[in-house]
Amino acid sequence: MSNEVESAQVSDATEVTLLSSSAEIESHAGSCDEEMTLQLLKDAVQSLPHHVVKDLLSVGVCSRCVLRILGSEDRIYCHPLLPQSILRSILEEVAGFKSEGNFQLCSVCLGILQLSYCDDKETMVKMESPNDMASTIAELVKTEGHQIDGFSLEVSVPQLILENESSLLSGMKKINESELWFQERMLSKCVSVKDVLKFAITKPLETLLDVKSTSAGCFRIRLTYTHKRASDNSVERNQGFKRRRISTGNGLHNVYDKAVITSKVCSDYSTNETISVTGRSSNILQDQETFEHLRIPIDKVSEPCHLVYLCYRTHIYLCGRYLKYSRNVSQTRWIIDEERMGEASVEEIIGSNILPMCRGDNYKFHAAGREDIDVRMLGSGRPFLLEIQNSCQIPSEETIKEIESKINGLENKLVGVKKLKVVSSQGWTLMREGEAEKQKQYCALVWISRPLEDEDVQSISLLNDMQILQKTPIRVLHRRSPLERQKIIHWMKIERISGSPQYFLLHLCTQAGTYIKEFVHGDLGRTQPSIGSILGCRAEIMQLDVTDVKMDSF
Amino acid sequence: MVDQAHKPEETAVPNNLQQHHKQDEEQQQSVRENAEYEDEELHKLLVPDITQLPLTPPSSVESNFASYFAPDFMKPGNDQYVYRHPNGLCVVGLASTHSAFKDKGGVSAVDFNVGKSDRSGMKVTGKRKKASSFGNAQHFESNTALCKVCTNDDSYIIRCCVKGSLLEVNERLIKQPDLLNSSADREGYIAIIMPKPADWLKVKSSLLSLEDFKKSREAGSILPSHNSS
Repeated sequence: MSNEVESAQVSDATEVTLLSSSAEIESHAGSCDEEMTLQLLKDAVQSLPHHVVKDLLSVGVCSRCVLRILGSEDRIYCHPLLPQSILRSILEEVAGFKSEGNFQLCSVCLGILQLSYCDDKETMVKMESPNDMASTIAELVKTEGHQIDGFSLEVSVPQLILENESSLLSGMKKINESELWFQERMLSKCVSVKDVLKFAITKPLETLLDVKSTSAGCFRIRLTYTHKRASDNSVERNQGFKRRRISTGNGLHNVYDKAVITSKVCSDYSTNETISVTGRSSNILQDQETFEHLRIPIDKVSEPCHLVYLCYRTHIYLCGRYLKYSRNVSQTRWIIDEERMGEASVEEIIGSNILPMCRGDNYKFHAAGREDIDVRMLGSGRPFLLEIQNSCQIPSEETIKEIESKINGLENKLVGVKKLKVVSSQGWTLMREGEAEKQKQYCALVWISRPLEDEDVQSISLLNDMQILQKTPIRVLHRRSPLERQKIIHWMKIERISGSPQYFLLHLCTQAGTYIKEFVHGDLGRTQPSIGSILGCRAEIMQLDVTDVKMDSF
Repeated sequence: MVDQAHKPEETAVPNNLQQHHKQDEEQQQSVRENAEYEDEELHKLLVPDITQLPLTPPSSVESNFASYFAPDFMKPGNDQYVYRHPNGLCVVGLASTHSAFKDKGGVSAVDFNVGKSDRSGMKVTGKRKKASSFGNAQHFESNTALCKVCTNDDSYIIRCCVKGSLLEVNERLIKQPDLLNSSADREGYIAIIMPKPADWLKVKSSLLSLEDFKKSREAGSILPSHNSS
């Protein structure tokens, strides 16, 4: 049975798990008064087999690890206000064990549950209670200025801890297998280090931040513990973790990078020791078969784990429709050989105006299709999705209005926005679906080589759902495969321009993916029919505007 | 305390509802007005200022391609054009001064079955894999024959002029050779070739610009062979 428990623990490894606010914590909510807590704690400790507690303490296992390994049902030892020293003294008193003076890092959790760690300035930090730790985190969230409506806590611990734990457990099994308490205790699953830690700090964090913790919230607080004496396995596992996270997609690259870097750093200077560590633990397993007393699973720990706090928001999405009033603005940043094409881009104008309002790190612009740089986007506008990475603030409706009027009020009037709003990541799916709806409306300024007749206006308006064949236009033939594609022109309408017999406006609605410019001039006869071939003359397109992109969901 | 806070809200509900109805109507009205306004605004943007429009605008070929000419290519009177798109692709065809157009009745047939293979028989498929070479496109030298253009009295070999991959030949010419007589510079093009950038630079130096070509043809005496054919 205990073997099963172990294997479950091991598979859990350094994987980052999310903790949802647990009902269990509620029962120990802050209102619990001090004496009650102490009494409960004493009772809990009393119920444990004293000699085992003593054994564990003597091999340098910390108080919280003793209680969690022995499966103390009442998680009173996670109480946020419980000071380290009191917990220790209660345990020592009950077990009749006297520690040899100085503070010692736990041989199993490497000090994590003693709330001791090494910060980025390489100074050793020792927190008194879970509440102190929560305060430090809350401080960080506030300093970084995150506006949050919930959080999820992620804890990642070195693989070494699990190795320590499993060798300790199998050692205990060898010695105590026959005893009744062992059979009972070990049936209940041993709570992992990271769960205990999350358990201890989630509640005070909720209080301090005044928000609830959520299982899959966008705002993440990550505690990454690394230890110099990590093992080979952890390197592999970390890589697996990285791959998995990236494949789940749309996340935050800089966050992975940070996580990866920290794991890299620890793995780099650990590889030399790796072999000796794994070798040692297997020796211990053999030793334990011959020795009656519990052995320290690993050498005394001299250095605590290195802890990195990281607060980030995965991303938020804003959707809307954009208008492009200029024939010299590209949709996305377009730079060839360090030379900018066009004077600006829709992406940059919109992104740079929204980003500071959300105080994010970066933005990504996605649009439903695109138009050429010399084509304006008018009328309905084109749907787009803006992904803000690590946004500190989710813009309120007022902020959204402010952003809209700011962009629409820009002096150069190159770009406009409409229907801006914050959406969940579902906006992404909506846009992809919408892209398939496939009807676009255009207005082209056309010149023909003879005066326009009334019959022309008539005959053009009668063409409904006309099929055309388009060979890949010469202008894109260098990058698109040479094919003949069938497209549908749904309808066309000619609007005369008074005073100019050879110019007219052609309004048309086509299947998405139709090359309009080529449909007008014929592309050396490679699009058939074309406006030129229908009217039996030469037709040239002077200007093109997109007037409507149909997409109900946006 | 809680109850007191709730009461004013409850009594306010009916008023709110009425207000909502009014607001809805007003909103619908304003949406309609807004839509009309937007249509008008859109239309204003679409209608061009006709005083700014040229009487005859440049053709798409003129505005999208740079024109080059190969006068008397391999043979006097064989004037060919090379229209180069900024993307590097070259459209080759017969210049209006080509001898074939001076024959009585002009061009009567086009035959792509020249050289080792029928130029119209092979289809280029697949995407470009390496820079400037398509999947299975044939690589031709600038003097490789593309097709034979026949008139009632004579026939002329049309050549690539540009070293590169042959992407496409104009198959319509087989059934409609008359496209050459009516619009050799547009629907009557012969082929599309993609040269490597370096090859293009070499070829370019041997070609004439439109202006130089015009000058050379106006001063026809420089090239006596042209008149004699």
